[in-house]
Amino acid sequence: MAEYVGIDLGTTLSGLAYLKPDGNPEIVPNADGERLTHSVVFFDSHEDVKLVGSAARDGGEPDRTIFQIKRFMDDPEHLVEIDGKKWTPAEISALILSKLKRDCSKICGDITEVVITVPANFNELARKSTIAAAEMAGMKVKRLVNEPTAAAVYYAHSQGVKGRILVFDLGGGTLDTTILDVEGDNIKILTSEGARHLGGSNFDDILLAAYEEQYKKQTGAALYSDERHRRRVLQATEDAKKMLSKLQRVNDTVANDQNSGIARIDLSREHFEKLIRHMLTRTVFLVEQALDSAKLKTSDIDHVVLVGGSTRIPKVKSMLEKMFGKVPKSCGNVDECVALGAALFAKKSSRIQEVCNASYGTLAMVYNAKTKEEKLMNSIVIPKNTPIPCSRTQVYQTSEDNERVIEVDITQGEDEDAKFVDVIGRLTLDVPPNRPKGCEVAVTFSYDENQRVRALVVDKQSGRSKEVAVTYKGAGVLSDEELKRRSHHLRAMRIE
Amino acid sequence: MFKILKSLSKSLGGGKPAAEAPPPSKAKAGSLLDKVNKGAPAAAKVEPTQSPEELCGITPKMAKDEIKAQLKLLFRRYNRSASSLDAKLRGEADQMLDAIVQMREKHFGEI
Repeated sequence: MAEYVGIDLGTTLSGLAYLKPDGNPEIVPNADGERLTHSVVFFDSHEDVKLVGSAARDGGEPDRTIFQIKRFMDDPEHLVEIDGKKWTPAEISALILSKLKRDCSKICGDITEVVITVPANFNELARKSTIAAAEMAGMKVKRLVNEPTAAAVYYAHSQGVKGRILVFDLGGGTLDTTILDVEGDNIKILTSEGARHLGGSNFDDILLAAYEEQYKKQTGAALYSDERHRRRVLQATEDAKKMLSKLQRVNDTVANDQNSGIARIDLSREHFEKLIRHMLTRTVFLVEQALDSAKLKTSDIDHVVLVGGSTRIPKVKSMLEKMFGKVPKSCGNVDECVALGAALFAKKSSRIQEVCNASYGTLAMVYNAKTKEEKLMNSIVIPKNTPIPCSRTQVYQTSEDNERVIEVDITQGEDEDAKFVDVIGRLTLDVPPNRPKGCEVAVTFSYDENQRVRALVVDKQSGRSKEVAVTYKGAGVLSDEELKRRSHHLRAMRIE
Repeated sequence: MFKILKSLSKSLGGGKPAAEAPPPSKAKAGSLLDKVNKGAPAAAKVEPTQSPEELCGITPKMAKDEIKAQLKLLFRRYNRSASSLDAKLRGEADQMLDAIVQMREKHFGEI
């Protein structure tokens, strides 16, 4: 049995690694001989089989091929309908995880418990969906770990460095930035910031638009008329993007499926970098945000480490070099280090000091006696990036006379403005009648090593209290029974 | 400074407490949050016809430091909103992030 297993469930590529007896992690190839598996699922119409990986990507039937499902892990309304059955993002992800589990266990032994990586900014629902996907695939999730944290663990292990590291993880679908301190085997995370929909596939889409424009200019026709052909051109743009990381100029020829002629696409690296400049500016914002969160300057960073396939883009490297005044280092194979780090994390988690992924608090009407202003705000009890485990208390007052029930909305998010946070739960506490407003209520949040959050409300006058586990149970979360039923169904499927 | 507990359901004047676990994911239309946000800067409400300056609340009189601080605040806010459980807010976020980037490039140059 493989004791320490890590899985990088990526937007475009997924990988599984395990810890060898010598303490070094190793990627386990799939049954197709590939070290990484494309996160693509194809539902065959002739046979009752689900293809996962490069075979699925090349399947050619766009209506039956699912790409980048990870982007929808927090969308309860995103359902994929195939042959009348509606699949949730968690179920599609479970097919990818099943392929990894089935293929890799033939090499490294039975896989029952895993560490799975997620983007730093994955919200509660996306994290829950990831856990549900693993359970449907027959694996227990020992821990979820942020992708840049896993990459940093691998970097620290493989390079033997110490000091303050900034990990810049620009993958297929997301950007994550983590700052951490490394001293031998001890790792202390200072902050993790993430940006959604900012990765290689966004660059592919931008290039696709450039291809469309050039084709229209040269032939007067549209480059594609259906999803099948769009996919083919998209694949060509991805190849061109990769070439532009090595060459200054790339020439390509494209044709549409309507015999409108062939167009010659001439792309320079300079032009490509101009096209993606806006997206790269967003990455700079995120790096600055991480530095601000950790109260650091660029000069406080000893190493800048690159992770994720999109960090192969020369402009990304030069941009970070200019920002930090030092050459960013690569984490070995930028596509594999997250899975490798996750396997290491499975064993070393106790030596890694993590922080809260988000702020937790409640809604409160805050009265400023000085200005006499009253404003509904998100009142943070545990701020993001507080080292865990931790516990924090805030005292509030009741708002009405004869209040019989105290209600505490549980918020997740850093913004003071209540509009910009998620309300992920509510705690209610019955209190005695006939009390004036202004009675004190203590709200305590605690956050443990397994990233479980608990909320405790204590009415100070009556001594009554109530404690609950803070967990998002809104739309998109499967009940235990439903999860069990779907797991059973999925395990009987043929997945290749 | 007093902090008075104010749950959404009480703000809406609901009598009975909501069920313990399943929460509202966002404020309903016409809720206290909406009333509060009427007084918020233009940046909080995304209208398709607004210029990047208007969306970001950048005025000609603002000093560079103020612009920088404003853009950083807005980036943090809308980058987080891009992962919100509220689909409407997620939709607004991308438009705002584009405007924030345009403002940065205009006032501080391209990367």
